[in-house]
Amino acid sequence: MASVKAKKTSSKRKHDEDVAEEQTLHSATALEMLTDDEACGDGDDDLSDGEAVDEFPEIDANSDSDDDEVEAEEADEEDEEDEEDENESEDDEDELLTDDSEHHIFPKPKTIISKITGQPKRVYPEIEPDYDSDSSTEDAPNRVGDVPMHWYDDMPHIGYDMNGKQVLRPAHGDELDKFLATVDNPDSWTTAFDKKQQMEKPLTAEELDIIQRLYAGENPDAQYDPYEPMVEWFTGKGKEEIMPLSAAPEPKRRWVRSKWEKQKIMKIVRAIRQGRIVPNKPKTSSKTQEFYSIWSSEPSSVQPPPLPAPKRALPTNAESYNPPGEYLMTEEEKAEREKLDAEDRERDFVPQKYSALRLVPAYDNFIKERFSRQLDLYLAPRIQRVKLNIDPSSLIPKLPSPSSLRPFPNYRSLRFTHPKGRVRCVSISPDGAWAISGDDDGIVSLWEVNVGCEIKRWKFEGKIGALEWCPRADLSYFVVGIEETIHFVIPPNVDASILALTQSLLAPSTLPPASGTPSAVKWTTPSTSAWSSEKPILSLHLAPSSGVVTQLSWHKRGDYVASVSSGGSQNSVWIHQITRRYSQAPFKKIKGAVQLVLFHPTKPHFFVATQQYVRLYNLAEQKLLKTLMPGIRWISSMDVHPSGDHLIVGGYDRKLCWFDLELSEKPYKVLRYHSRAIRSLSFHPTYPLFASSSDDGSIQVFHARVYNDLMTDPLIVPLKILRGHQITDGLGTLQLRWSPKHPWLASAAADGTVAVWCS
Amino acid sequence: MDSTTQSVVFTTQTPYPLPSQKFMIPTTWKRYHLSQLVNKALDLAKPVPFDFLVKGEILRTSISEWCAENGVGEEETLEIEYIESVLPPQRLSEFPHESWVSAVLCELPNHFLTVAYDGYLRAFDMSRNPVLNTLLHTSPITSFCTVPSPSNDNTYTIATASQDLTAQISQISVEASSTSSKPLATLHLHTAPLSSVSSNAKGTQLLTSSWDGLVGLWDTTIPPTDEVPEPTLNERERKRRRKGDDATTKKPKRKAPINVLKSHIGRVSKAAWLNEKEGVSCGFDSTVRTWDVENGLCTRTIAASEKPFLDLVSRENGQSALVVSTDRTMTLYDLRSSQLSAAVASFNHPSTPSCIALPESHTSSSQIVTGSYDGIVRIWDLRSNKAAIATFKAWDGTKKVLAVDWRRGVVGVGGEGGLDLWKVAAESDTGAGSKKSV
Repeated sequence: MASVKAKKTSSKRKHDEDVAEEQTLHSATALEMLTDDEACGDGDDDLSDGEAVDEFPEIDANSDSDDDEVEAEEADEEDEEDEEDENESEDDEDELLTDDSEHHIFPKPKTIISKITGQPKRVYPEIEPDYDSDSSTEDAPNRVGDVPMHWYDDMPHIGYDMNGKQVLRPAHGDELDKFLATVDNPDSWTTAFDKKQQMEKPLTAEELDIIQRLYAGENPDAQYDPYEPMVEWFTGKGKEEIMPLSAAPEPKRRWVRSKWEKQKIMKIVRAIRQGRIVPNKPKTSSKTQEFYSIWSSEPSSVQPPPLPAPKRALPTNAESYNPPGEYLMTEEEKAEREKLDAEDRERDFVPQKYSALRLVPAYDNFIKERFSRQLDLYLAPRIQRVKLNIDPSSLIPKLPSPSSLRPFPNYRSLRFTHPKGRVRCVSISPDGAWAISGDDDGIVSLWEVNVGCEIKRWKFEGKIGALEWCPRADLSYFVVGIEETIHFVIPPNVDASILALTQSLLAPSTLPPASGTPSAVKWTTPSTSAWSSEKPILSLHLAPSSGVVTQLSWHKRGDYVASVSSGGSQNSVWIHQITRRYSQAPFKKIKGAVQLVLFHPTKPHFFVATQQYVRLYNLAEQKLLKTLMPGIRWISSMDVHPSGDHLIVGGYDRKLCWFDLELSEKPYKVLRYHSRAIRSLSFHPTYPLFASSSDDGSIQVFHARVYNDLMTDPLIVPLKILRGHQITDGLGTLQLRWSPKHPWLASAAADGTVAVWCS
Repeated sequence: MDSTTQSVVFTTQTPYPLPSQKFMIPTTWKRYHLSQLVNKALDLAKPVPFDFLVKGEILRTSISEWCAENGVGEEETLEIEYIESVLPPQRLSEFPHESWVSAVLCELPNHFLTVAYDGYLRAFDMSRNPVLNTLLHTSPITSFCTVPSPSNDNTYTIATASQDLTAQISQISVEASSTSSKPLATLHLHTAPLSSVSSNAKGTQLLTSSWDGLVGLWDTTIPPTDEVPEPTLNERERKRRRKGDDATTKKPKRKAPINVLKSHIGRVSKAAWLNEKEGVSCGFDSTVRTWDVENGLCTRTIAASEKPFLDLVSRENGQSALVVSTDRTMTLYDLRSSQLSAAVASFNHPSTPSCIALPESHTSSSQIVTGSYDGIVRIWDLRSNKAAIATFKAWDGTKKVLAVDWRRGVVGVGGEGGLDLWKVAAESDTGAGSKKSV
């Protein structure tokens, strides 16, 4: 009801607005209208023609409701609407009046009291039978008729008069006249030339109005009212239809109660009585609205929603009870189908043909199929498994290609053979020309690196444990560790001055003063008469039962050589100073069995590798600097980068650890490329190369570029695996040494050969 | 496929030229057919076998197979160069040595000379008899050469270079009745083992190279007195020397070099003469240097990258040089051009090539022989750098070849297994000979 009311008020407002508009538009007539309105306010009496007057009282759609207040409102509205209607009627009247002045289509009747009957009667004015009375007698300036006017375009006349004379075209003013007309006549801009009548005709007010309406985009018909009041015909008091529209007898259901409804209602009643339905639910607190955050709680399940169960395939022609012939199976096909397993069959049924649907027997596999379908729905997992789809090539780190990192050793140039015994150690002279190799048979051979021809051979008693050339360039000798002695040997074919210097160093004519603390190591030199290149010029005898010398390591200056003995845990490390002819044990007590020692190339530091740890000592300050933990069970080999900042450690458990000494005590990189224990590691002194040898007989050559920039990590690129050594007694390549000036590698192997690998 | 033919144009530098015209040749033909064709076309009295080079490669298959491998269509005209084919080398004789042979000389008309790592110089005559066996150095001799001298037939002057830091000029006579050797002078300059010695064509000057990076220039005149004083002996040596004073009365004169050519960094592996005034040397510092010997100036340096050179020969009167290096290549350098374009061609070996020799010294022959550490001697033609023309294995097993020499159709191969002589006919023996005679 409220909505209806709102509509009404809105429509009323619209009317008001329209009225206001009209007022502004026709201000001249508005004044009259106002007076009219006032007149209307007084009464409706002087409306003579009685059109558009609402005789009916207004009927509201809600009139059947019996609320009093509503009716009061209605009454108000009715009044208002009446007023509006009257306004409109006034408008209409006004227009009609103006129209009447122009057109007299029908003569106006007059109502007079008949003298005869005494009843009022209409009297029309007499029709005068002259020219005016008929359209045919109208003064028609057009003498042509209803023909297209362009027929006369070329003619000087237009039509003919009653006498058959040509009617000449009326004279037209020239352009100047037209212009003057526009100046003189204010209506000239609303006049147009009428060809039919051959004269200028001003547009009528009505036509102008139409033009204006069209221009304003309104309906051109001035009569048209889009908001005509609703006319109630059958609603409202006194307008109800009393008589039925149809004569058909009323159905029984109109007045007999429905049994079914009664039953239904009785059921509810009974339920209420028995208390099954509580008539008025107790008002719970749910009435009061509760607010909650819909995002506060976690989603119910982390898993994505399960996949929908697969849909069954729609039946095809083959499933039909009456399939086309090509779907039927021949006997051979059936036999073939029988042979297959149930899972492999193309279909799980045999198409069969029946002439009619009623002949189709019951589906024999119904239970089975339903069961399997339920089983499938119930048991089959529907979780989508995300496959890891990684391109394996993307996991390989991007390294420069080995061919761009030349030179590195890539082929075996020659092989030097020791006839018996495995070769444990090899060493290349600092000028890169000579190599010495020692085998288990006690033989030390001197040979040219490039030719491989043995120049000299020394025979010692016992296994050769270690061999090293003295790194000094102005001297030429090497040390050999055999059992518990260390021999100093001068090779042949040495320049006289070098030979003299070497001899004077190793066997000075006046011995340096013995130091205060007697050492357990004896330095012995044979008498000058017994000197020859066959015999060592100097021998150091370590303490008895100190074990075999397993490693000799020179300080870079060539004055100190450190030896490691395998035997006793105490005093296994000795540092021998050549110029002072004095040996000292740097460690009184050391934890664990020492495997290897190394001098730092630039600083007075000393690396000591025990079975599992590498300790770095400062010899000058006599303190422990660092303990490196390679995580190797048994360290087998170790070498320090020529820069002194990096260390590689290899173990019998195949691991190779690269330590950046600036970084941490854990390895920067662990390489595990060998299939057997690592035996030897070696950095090239000048080229960015290092190599590792293993018991699997192979040698692996790596490119190891170390940057001065502390932020850049060392670049380690595997370059080449050199194969060629045989594995004998489970031992492969035992020691590696680089040629100092060339990227050449010498490898001593347990098969009794020393190979030289060239680039 | 018999019907398909290939148009072919033959070119040659041999004395058997064919008229330049196109031949339509069945593509199934191989070397043998082509050789027969050339022989027939030339109408040679004595058949000469030819080898055929197509685009620097020796034709070993049929023409159609070669075309299929190299993607040459049948419409194209092939330019085939033919060379006299090297007959399969034949072993003439072998001379086992007690030590490794470090250098071989087949220059002498009737004898073969070898030096070995045991310090001995050995001479063999044509009937394989050892004629001379003399100890010249106590250390391994690395290289030797003859010093041409106007002397009688069977006496020669020999210069040897040894690892005992000296070179030596000795006179040997290999007469049938009495063979003798006499050291004339020792050359003292180097502080490291010597690697090579070579004499100029007149026999007036010597070049020695050593591991200490020096090249020494010496004349071959024997001075009346020592030019270099005896080293100052300390007491022990003096004592010893006194004992054997009588033995050292006839000891050779000690000579000093005329000039020292210093420019190499590192070991010099070979120094040789280009002509009377110029020398060439190569070393482990990957350079080939030419020297103005008189003034002791390095005139040109060709620097390669990471190619320690092992041996060198010069050809075409010193206009180019062939060098072998440890990176398993033999490289032809043009000694006249600038550095960048110096390397003309490269020949790959499967093993370290250790030595190299030309059929005649200073010729423009395009054939070379190289020996390598895998014991195989290869004969190359410079026009075909893909593969060797002929190979032979000097000894059984992998015994290193350390020296080769090729004179008068005989290749002497020295190395781990001693001396081996092989008959290898050099290209255009007749042609070269005729040129020489003209």
